Order: sequence, then C-alpha cells, then structure tokens
Amino acid sequence: MAKLIGGLGTSHVPSIAAALDKGLRDTPDWKPFFDGYIPGQDWVKEAKPDVAVVIFNDHGNSFFLDRVPTFAVGCAEEYKPVDEGWGPRPIPPFQGAVDFSWHLVDTLVENRFDPMICQEIDVDHGIQVPMELFWGRPAAWPVKVVPIFVNVIQYPIPLPSRCWELGQVLRKAIESYDSDERFVVVGTGGLSHQLQGARAGFVNPEADRAFLRDIAADPGKLASLSRERYVELFGSEGAELMMWLVMRGCMDEAVKVLHTHYFVPASMTGAGMIVLENEAGATGRAAA
Amino acid sequence: METTVTIVLIPGLLCDASIWTSQVAALSQRAPVVVADLSTQDSITAMARDTLALAQGPLAVVGHSMGARVALEMVRLAPERIERLALLDTGAHPRRDGEEATRQVLVDLARREGMAALADRWLPPMVHEARTGDAALMEPLREMVKRATADQHDRQIRALLGRPNAREHLSAIACPTLVAVGRQDRWSPLAQHEEIAAAIPGARLVIIEDSGHMSPVEQPDQVTAALLAWLDMESPMTADRIPDTPLFDRERQRRGYRINKMAMGLSKPENREAFKADEEAYLDRFSLTADEKKAVMSRDWREMVRLGGNLFFILKISAVDPVRITEIGAHQAGMAHDAFLRDRLGKK
Repeated sequence: MAKLIGGLGTSHVPSIAAALDKGLRDTPDWKPFFDGYIPGQDWVKEAKPDVAVVIFNDHGNSFFLDRVPTFAVGCAEEYKPVDEGWGPRPIPPFQGAVDFSWHLVDTLVENRFDPMICQEIDVDHGIQVPMELFWGRPAAWPVKVVPIFVNVIQYPIPLPSRCWELGQVLRKAIESYDSDERFVVVGTGGLSHQLQGARAGFVNPEADRAFLRDIAADPGKLASLSRERYVELFGSEGAELMMWLVMRGCMDEAVKVLHTHYFVPASMTGAGMIVLENEAGATGRAAA
Repeated sequence: METTVTIVLIPGLLCDASIWTSQVAALSQRAPVVVADLSTQDSITAMARDTLALAQGPLAVVGHSMGARVALEMVRLAPERIERLALLDTGAHPRRDGEEATRQVLVDLARREGMAALADRWLPPMVHEARTGDAALMEPLREMVKRATADQHDRQIRALLGRPNAREHLSAIACPTLVAVGRQDRWSPLAQHEEIAAAIPGARLVIIEDSGHMSPVEQPDQVTAALLAWLDMESPMTADRIPDTPLFDRERQRRGYRINKMAMGLSKPENREAFKADEEAYLDRFSLTADEKKAVMSRDWREMVRLGGNLFFILKISAVDPVRITEIGAHQAGMAHDAFLRDRLGKK
C-alpha cells in the first residue's frame, strides 16, 4: 500500500511568486523569508515523495462565483498555471496522479464527502507557491500532484472540523491505495492576513505562532474553533488556515515537528511553514 | 431579478390604518405600502398568516404594539420573505401572571358600557402623561377606538393572551431590525426594548423622545425618520459582526456579482486590452450601475468592496492598471501607505 511520509504546511502568498519571478529572492526584504524554507526543501529532497496532495483554495481564478464547490478534487492528467490577470506564470505544468485522484474521490464519497470532480482545470498561486517553496524551480516537477480545492472565500465556507474530517478520509484513501508510492500531504494558506475592509492589513503574529505550535500539539483545539473565530484571530483571508487541518487530520495524533518557520510580513501576510512526520514513522512502511 | 419590496404596516390592539397616516405618506415614496387589518382574527398566528398574504414577494414589516408581535410571528413563519423588520412599542414575552384578569376588566367594560367608555379608560395610559388632555392627539384616537367593536376587542385580547413566546426566536432573526420605543412608554417600557434589541443580532434601538406608547401618532416625524433610516440599514450579515471585516456572505456576493464578474473577465488578455482601450465600454458590457462604474473608474477600492467587490476578483484591475496590494490595503484602512506598512504590518 501507499505510504504517507509526512505533512507539510505553508502559506501561499502570491507576492512570493512575484518575488521569485522578479528575482528578488536574495534581497533584504525576502532573503530571511526564503532562507527559512531551506530545511523544508532539504526534507523534501531527502524524503523524495512521489505524490503531493495539496490542499488549497482557488482565488477567483479557476472558479468564478457562478459555481462554487465547497470541496473539489483534481482528477486531471496535467494542471497548467492559470492566468490570474498578469498572464500565466512561466513555471512547468504539474503532472496529475489520475489513478489516485479517482481512488480518493471514491473513498471520499464512500465516506460521505461528495466533492466536485475536475478533469480539466488550471491552477493558481494557491498550489504554485507551495510547490515552489518546497520543490524550488525545477525544469519539471519531480512529484505528481493531487489538488484538493476548498472554498474559503464565498460564505458559507466549510467548518474547520469538516476540514479535519476530510483529512481523516484522505488518510484512509492513501492507506488503501494499492501502490508503493510515497505520499506527502500539503496544507496551505494563511497565516494571518486581511485584504478587505477597514481592518485590511491585520496580522496577528502571536496567534500565528500559537497556531504553528497547536497544529502539531493540539490540533483538536484548532478543529473545534468556529469560522468566525478564525476570522477574528487570523483576519478575513487568514481563515483559510483551516485548510492546514486537512493535512493535520491526515496525520497521526502524535507527530514530530521537524521544522517550523515564521516570517511577517510577506506582503500583507504572516507567513509560515511546518514539516511534520508521524511519531510512529511512515504508515504502510514494510517492517525494517 | 430584483423583486420589489412591499412595506407592511401593522397596527396594534384597537388601532387601524389611521395611526400610520404620516408614515404611509412618507414611506410610499420609497416602496408600495399596505396596512394590515387585524380586526377579524383571534390568534397572533392567524393575524400573521393573513398579513403575509397581503402582498407577494419580500416584505419590510413594521409592527406597532400587538402588530409587532404579529410581525415577529411572520418572521417565525416565513423568515425568507421578511427583508427587514421594525418593532415599535412592543414586547416579546409570553402572557404574564394576572394578565388575563386585568384584560378581562376591559373586555367586560366594552361589553357593558360600549367602546367610548373603553376609549376613556384605555387610552390615557397609552400616551405621554403630559398629553392626555391634548385634544388634537386624543380625539382621533378616541374616534378610532369607537370605530372598533367589543367583539373585535374580545378577539384581539384572546389573541394576545394566547400569544406565542417570541423571545426564543429573537436570536434567529437575520434581517435588518429596528426596535423603537417612546421614552415615556408606560405600557411597554424602554428596558423591555433594550432586551429585545440585545437579543436580535445587529438590531438598532431608537428611542422616540417625548412619546408614550402611541409613538406613530405622538411623534410621527421621529418615527418616520427612524423608519426611513431603517429602510437603508444594512443587513447584520453585511454589517460585519467582526468590526471592519466584510465577510463575503450571501448579501455581499449577490450585491457584488456584476462587479466581480467584470473583474473576473480581466483574466483574459483580450478583455484586458478592451479595458485599457475603453474602460467604460468594457464596464458597460457587464451592466455595472453608475455607482459601480464610478467606484471602478476612480479606483475607489473601499467603495468597490462596499458594493460587494471581493479583493480576489477586483485585484485583477491592478493587473491592467498597476497598484500594489499594500496601497489597496492602505486605501481601505484610510491610512497613508507608509503609516499602513509601519502600523499595520510592522514594517520598519
């Protein structure tokens, strides 16, 4: 069976992509931010996942308001960067893991999650930025992707506890997948930021740091918070942090925190990263 | 698409359309107005059902005294139809101990001595103490009570005594709600309205000065002004339970659909060219209103968001006409860009 080798969490701020595109990586504004991801990149190089399940939200690029799926799963052969208004970014397209995507959809529906199924869809910075932060800018991505889209923009957005439950079903899907592929699950979004209204520019470093601790040590607490509480603590767009709960719900209760990183502000956002492994080691691993 | 809202005015015990004369004149400038007739039913629920049937589509409901209890029952029966709610000089509590006996005295009086006798007994405590001798106020009220019958009074008292407990439903009210009361209302005091307003999310409490229980006739101008302001009151969903944080909820996304669709169009290169070539013509393709066009063309980000624009969509305007996201943030925060970076984002 497939192996779950780790869980990653990261922000997906579009300015990160813009900074990379403009060659600003090593400028004083950005270097400390990007350097903090080096341990995460090293972990990925060492762990060599075959498939990355990436949980993110579309930002009004692949979905308009005419149809808004609460949860959607990509089942495509390939995902191209979408034109967000500035033209598609010059990064390689992502190869899909079609067979697993369908297995995931089956498992979800059998477990009473009923996602939208997307066989042709472009993807925005929500997945691009996490991939670049962990895998760099390769000529071709050395990992296949399974995008899970979560609506965290148009209310009603899902409950944080529902994101957690989605992660638990994702775990079932990975563990019941007949393959020797190595899976990593990537929860993205946040941390605190607010783009709309007179509170625009709200960041909450204290709450962000607590989140980075709690997502490993006390995720049940984060899963039980209301959506409104997320907005209060992390800002109107910071509520997307609940997508990390999909990743965390997929992991064991006991996890090792290998790396964390926090930097504020990346553009208007408190940005962060975490690398987790199950305390008990990779699941489905053959006896050593 | 946009259906016309009907304003429904609901009079209280022994009252009729005459108490709403001033309000009808002012409010009918804004929307069609109908006045409910509660003279024939003997339960609050039946009154609510009949009043709901007065018009099709969404309603802006104004109830006075018993009429406000009917309004609350309408919200319970058909919350999807009540676009906004105004409760004047009323209560939400169920029947109180001893209430039946007190009311029976008046029922008997009307039966025994007639409606004029009832008016003499019932009316004075209903108005501001200082105005019980004000003939211009009292005479029309007396005439109104005399137009009613002892049977109607009897039915309405039965309806009141059998009224539902509306308190437990107050917290579920999700429409813009006005609670108003005469400061000298001796029948349903201010404190009672403070409780009601506190229980309804986002409700606005307005105190009508120098008025008793009969505020629509005692201080018609104040009541009308409160109602006109209420017609423009934003939904509690839109009125940001978290301060200065406009969640992209049902109301906002419906309000902003056109503006967001226009902005979404900018993810196509040919539309970006069209926008650059003739912005107004591009906006017209999406049937933007004058306000929406003005907000977009003046790059008034705060106003675009107020009109339902969502940053993820309207940000695409900055792909055509570059502006930094932090400048958009500073504009919405009402701050200079430097101060915004320093004070909000902690930049040195």
